[in-house]
Amino acid sequence: MHSIYTFVTGPLVWVAFLVFIGGLAGKFVYLTSLAKNKDPYVFSYLHLKYALRSIIVWLIPFSTRNMRLNPVMTVVTFAFHICLIIAPIFLLAHVIMFEEAWGVSWWTLPDAVADVMTWVVLASIVFFVVRRRVVPEARYVTGPKEFVILGLVALPFLTGFLAYYQIFDYQTMIILHVLAGEAMLVAIPFTWLSHVMLYPMIRGYMGSEFGAERHVKDW
Amino acid sequence: MTGKLALWAGLGLLTALFVWPTLFVGPALSQDDMTHIITDAFGVKQRPASVFVHDEHNIKAEIEDDCWLCHHFDGKNPDPMDSSAGMPCVDCHPVKADPDQTPLMQAFHKQCKDCHLEKKAGPIACGECHVRP
Repeated sequence: MHSIYTFVTGPLVWVAFLVFIGGLAGKFVYLTSLAKNKDPYVFSYLHLKYALRSIIVWLIPFSTRNMRLNPVMTVVTFAFHICLIIAPIFLLAHVIMFEEAWGVSWWTLPDAVADVMTWVVLASIVFFVVRRRVVPEARYVTGPKEFVILGLVALPFLTGFLAYYQIFDYQTMIILHVLAGEAMLVAIPFTWLSHVMLYPMIRGYMGSEFGAERHVKDW
Repeated sequence: MTGKLALWAGLGLLTALFVWPTLFVGPALSQDDMTHIITDAFGVKQRPASVFVHDEHNIKAEIEDDCWLCHHFDGKNPDPMDSSAGMPCVDCHPVKADPDQTPLMQAFHKQCKDCHLEKKAGPIACGECHVRP
């Protein structure tokens, strides 16, 4: 227990974060150099004001026509993303681990709130799975890989929940939880989870071209 | 007759509920019967109290006569001649500490985990100590 736990919560965390950040940085360099060679006009179109306008507008619920056309998806996806990001960063147990390792700490959520947020994440993933099987335009772009990736996102939350409530063997579950979180971080640069970075890149480009060149909204 | 019976039953129930447990409050506060780290200092608790069976732990860790190891005055350099046994931890480790102090929660966590990590024995993950009843 000791050696596995200290390994997965020590060196492996560094590896996971290095692959996560380094992988995204590499992807950024690769995509921008690809654009430079194939479509250099991307860069001459870039316009800070319209790029930011598009990035911000698409972060506001029901701000775009597509969001208004799909209100259920809009509510679920916003709730999902907010809980997915906020719950792990402000979870008391996570912050305590940072505090004990580095001496830095920040504001934390009450466990009861983090609990509800975990439920929201898991329920949203069930919704996404059903949606990808039922909604034709989603089913058309869905293969087995998509479900594996959704599972990869669900796993840290599911194991975290089971570890928190000490359901099944706690020691196994907490190690699985840490491994699942690391696996998800590592997967981000190499799957469509990289929309965490591609979102501002694509919106920035679309916003620039639509706003500065065509003088229309891109939402 | 039934009224008297009900009265005695009610009194018995009251005794069972409220009086009987208080008999155990005294001994439960002494270290001999200590099973958990109980403190009111944190206010609203986020986790169940940490399991700590004082005597059993010290026999297992072979530190029965080394109170000063945990009941220290200077955490970095505990002095065998200087034991703080009997003093509540919170007296030196407030929940909201000054920069030169170790806050209470960290003091508890460090006290247990640092030694467990060093000896490669004993619980180190959250739920190993904060066991749900």
